Amino acid sequence: MSPTLVGMGSQSERADMSAYRRADKDSDFSAYMSARQAALYRTAYLLAGDHASAEDLLQNAFAKLYLSWDKVRDREALDGYVRRIMVNENNSLWRRAWKRREHSTDTMPETGVGVHESYDDGLASALWSYISTLPPKQRSVVVLRYYEQLSEAEIAEVLGISVGTVKSQASRALAGLRARAPRSLNPHEFGDER
Amino acid sequence: MNDTSLEDQVHDALQLAADSHQRSPLTVGDVRTRARRIRRRRTITAGAAIAAALAITVPVGLSLSGLGQRSGVQPATQPPTTVITGTVRIDPRSAPTSDTLAVPLLDVDTPSLIADGEVTELPETYDQLTPYLDGWIGVVNNEGAYSVRQLDADFQVVDEAVTASRLAVSADGSRMAWAEHDSTRWYVVDVTADGSREERRTPLPEGPVEAKVDVVGFASDTEVVVTQTDPADGALTTLRVDGSTVTPVPGFVRPWTASSATGVVAGVTRVLDDLSSCSAVIDAQTRTGTPPWATCDYTLAAFSPDGRYVVGLASYLDGNGSPTLAVLDAATGEAVIDYELIGPRNSIVGINDRVAWEDADTLIVTMVSRDRQFVLRLGLDGTVERITAPGTELEPDRISLVVAAN
Repeated sequence: MSPTLVGMGSQSERADMSAYRRADKDSDFSAYMSARQAALYRTAYLLAGDHASAEDLLQNAFAKLYLSWDKVRDREALDGYVRRIMVNENNSLWRRAWKRREHSTDTMPETGVGVHESYDDGLASALWSYISTLPPKQRSVVVLRYYEQLSEAEIAEVLGISVGTVKSQASRALAGLRARAPRSLNPHEFGDER
Repeated sequence: MNDTSLEDQVHDALQLAADSHQRSPLTVGDVRTRARRIRRRRTITAGAAIAAALAITVPVGLSLSGLGQRSGVQPATQPPTTVITGTVRIDPRSAPTSDTLAVPLLDVDTPSLIADGEVTELPETYDQLTPYLDGWIGVVNNEGAYSVRQLDADFQVVDEAVTASRLAVSADGSRMAWAEHDSTRWYVVDVTADGSREERRTPLPEGPVEAKVDVVGFASDTEVVVTQTDPADGALTTLRVDGSTVTPVPGFVRPWTASSATGVVAGVTRVLDDLSSCSAVIDAQTRTGTPPWATCDYTLAAFSPDGRYVVGLASYLDGNGSPTLAVLDAATGEAVIDYELIGPRNSIVGINDRVAWEDADTLIVTMVSRDRQFVLRLGLDGTVERITAPGTELEPDRISLVVAAN
């Protein structure tokens, strides 16, 4: 038996070990996906605004996580990692350029009419439509702050920007929502209108 | 309506939008397939990056000389152009032509951007546009209400301040500032074009959107000059802001421009009964507002990049622009050169007040004569050239070109 084979095992043993590791990785990854996919899909949907883009965004983020799975030491940080990939991917120039070419007619946000309408006579649905028109960075901050309930520091970390920029983006987003939908955002006026 | 209730409503809206979608559409197999594709792409990209790094040393020198020739900007080591004094007559139809232009223009009708010898169609009309990061910052004018937008290289909106002012852009294009209202107060926002410094926001005291803030220009590397409108009577207060403090600059009825090179502000100091005005250049640090010189012959429009000169337009400006243009010594107020539009009096409309310095010795103006708009280069050496770069020669009756950054 050569020294090399003593040290590293036979070719078939190495193949077995590799298959075992991959099965192990797939099993761990699959468990994580099963547990977290639905929640992360909702975030993807809020970022992207339609199901096709949300699915694409999440698939890409999971794929990147899969490629890095063996390097991720802190399993508690997995959601944060996936969110960061989704947000940055959604904001990236490349992605938006691609979306314009492939989905140029897909501009109307999907509002989920029915669920919202019965809850508050359409106020939340109307507001969601306006959120869908925010520029990508502002929308990311809004989703992370008001849906994911992350702190400004955590958002800064996810987006790779300063806390000051997070504050200004949030402030601009709220000002933009108020300017675009002033009547919808005032319950009294909205009520009077009806 | 306060921010807290709006924040709650946003939270509820997001929650409802998300909760109606309980989906887990992906399998581990889908993810593995996408992962393989990403790995392949990364391998290809890594190879291309190495090739690009190896190739980069050669084209630098070539592209620099190419740019220099295209823009026509003189290198810094070039001796200053001779400045002539007296009157230069402008006849755009007989002026020699030049097909270079270093100042970007906007055609607000088509709409398009005219820069670097190319005409680029825009997705919508921008009142101002200037390079920022990998894309642009633009201002949309909606019936006098302005929005500031950050755009990517393809002019897609990346960020937006919906209630804002127009932009002030530094002479070299490296800094820009605007004001925006967040429903409680106005902020003055000051950024660098390359993103090398964090965005700086100076809050003004709480106030309604009607207490409108407009940005005049840069008074130093750290200070921005702005005006704030008193909603009660429309009077303007001139202020100097530096990221944290707000200091009044006395002396102006309406400041027009500032120079970060010399730290001065120029503007109207007095409006006369016939609606003409007197103007002055005042140190931005002034406590008294006393100007070293004043003139009732000109409205002061734009400092040269080095702050040495300031453009003087007619003391009464209306929508047609100015029938005259002079370049004044900014330190003394003395007219260095007068440009006189020639032609039958009833055919001359005027020079647009959005005047830009192409470099320390050259101005770019747009003017209307009879039924045509022209773009002209006016040199302090007395030269007058009609610009013929792509997009700058309009059909008769089309008046739609403006300097992009001003």
